[in-house]
Amino acid sequence: MTIAHLTFREAARRRLLLAVVVLAVLVVCLTGLGFSRLHTLRDSSDHALPPGQLRAIASVFVILIAYMFSLVLAVGAAFLAAPAIAADVESGLFLAILPRPIRRSDVVLGKWFGLAFLLVSFTGVAGVAELGLIHLITGYAPPHPALAVLHLAAQSMILLTFSLLGSTRLSPITCGICALVLFGIAWIAGIIGALGHTFHNVDLTHATTIIGLILPTDGFWRGAVYNLEPAVMSAMGSDWATGNPLAVNAPPPTAFYLWAGCWVVVLLFLAIRSFDRRDL
Amino acid sequence: MIDPAIYTLDLAKRYHGKTALAGLTMSVSRGEVFGFLGPNGAGKTTAVKLLLGLTHPSTGEGWVLGEPLGHRLTRRRLGYLPELFRYQSWLSAREVLALHCTLAGRHAAASKEQVASALLAVGLRDRADDRVGTFSKGMQQRLGLGVALLGEPDLVFLDEPTSALDPVGRHDVREIIRSLKRRGATVFLNSHLLTEVEHVCDRVAILDHGRVISIGGLAELIGQVSSVRLRLTGVNAPAEELLRRCGTVTFLEEGHSDASGHAERRQILSDASGHAERRQILSDASDHAEGWYMVQGIDPEHTPELVADLVEAGVRVYAVEPAHQTLEERFLALLGGSPWHS
Repeated sequence: MTIAHLTFREAARRRLLLAVVVLAVLVVCLTGLGFSRLHTLRDSSDHALPPGQLRAIASVFVILIAYMFSLVLAVGAAFLAAPAIAADVESGLFLAILPRPIRRSDVVLGKWFGLAFLLVSFTGVAGVAELGLIHLITGYAPPHPALAVLHLAAQSMILLTFSLLGSTRLSPITCGICALVLFGIAWIAGIIGALGHTFHNVDLTHATTIIGLILPTDGFWRGAVYNLEPAVMSAMGSDWATGNPLAVNAPPPTAFYLWAGCWVVVLLFLAIRSFDRRDL
Repeated sequence: MIDPAIYTLDLAKRYHGKTALAGLTMSVSRGEVFGFLGPNGAGKTTAVKLLLGLTHPSTGEGWVLGEPLGHRLTRRRLGYLPELFRYQSWLSAREVLALHCTLAGRHAAASKEQVASALLAVGLRDRADDRVGTFSKGMQQRLGLGVALLGEPDLVFLDEPTSALDPVGRHDVREIIRSLKRRGATVFLNSHLLTEVEHVCDRVAILDHGRVISIGGLAELIGQVSSVRLRLTGVNAPAEELLRRCGTVTFLEEGHSDASGHAERRQILSDASGHAERRQILSDASDHAEGWYMVQGIDPEHTPELVADLVEAGVRVYAVEPAHQTLEERFLALLGGSPWHS
């Protein structure tokens, strides 16, 4: 816990927390301003839109905002975790820390918990603030906001774990770029997989499923979208959601969550093994 | 029997097929100040990292304070100042020391005392609450020394502890090493500053290309051969015989050439460092009746008698300087550097 606390303290001292809070407040305020102007929208006959239609538009905007938020979290997770171990090895900081009677696993897990706490706290606070403000302004609330935020946080945990594993062997920049490229590939694979599913292309579906299992970020993104979209949208059937990254008609299966849980545990184990064997 | 503080057996490390350390076998007794010397790339830091468990050995084994290398709980009793000292720039000196106390598993109450004592020992009490990022390199090295001294460790590894320090800081480090020795702690000192090692170390190992090429007590390593340099004029045959009786005589430097041109016949040798030096074993007294003479292997007790005999033989004695081989000279000689000279 000392390392976790140290990681959190570093983020605070280096003004990372302050920067993140300021940016989050700014984004929430700007999007709030945008939603407050929704009622000014007019149809082709210059009539105000009915409340139902406004709520439908709000729901699409919420998913768009969640999409942007998911990208911010992914980049944040990759760039927080990529230097977490690699930078301390390169700078020589570990030469002073590791001769102390601590296990290297304490360092890896401490870094993971510290960064996970940061990311989950930020996701929670920013997510609740954003959705709360939208509800206050428009009266619209997604069906399962807490679950949606949880899925976004889980997605960032996947990328955090992957980057931390890379950080035990790669330089910070290489590790960060690898994590983001893989994140992009997994996201594209999700879209292509949905197309393959619609057109009954088994090979395509299998290939994209494998990519989605190697880095299970897209599953959580889809879970977040599913919990954000109104029931009427997810009931529109698979055709509507085909190839559309902002639409989902079914939540990820339970097996996916089990796989993702095991994936995190296995990668953390590999990260510990890798760092344990590394010569400093 | 008490285990040695450090014992290694054929400890070796290879990086991608390149040998960094080849079969280090040595023992460091408890309470000893042990100097570990060698040129750049000799494998000194690799050896320290292996002893601290920061690096894994390719072959061989070792024990530190009676436990195998890398033993976690033994590390509570170790202190380490790395050659590349780096501490959290966003923490204050006091916070860095407190962090290391926590990592070492010390109680909060004891930690406060230990932190205060370490700050005092390394002269950082006035800057204790300043961020490390604002410190000069020398102050950061002082902080590193404070970290290494925390909690009165039984074994302290100091890797180039004075590389960033001014003369006052170097003096302080020597005092700290001496106080560690008085406390009974073992000090493993890696240093390029041979005079520093000579001042504080009980025993020394010299490493080259990953191998120990010499190990032993300082006196043993430098050698007990004592010498004396004399500046003489009017050295005649009986005086030459007196000098020869006391040891090996070398004519180091002529006072002036005589009119017969004998100086031209003197041999000029060049040492490994490239400095030309006039040197010739005394063979012909008429060649150098005047100048500096070195008598190697003389019993220091016989020096006054020799001087009295020389004066009686009509020689004028202008200077008498006892000469000892320094660690630096021995070090260079072992590494194939400049030959022994006073």
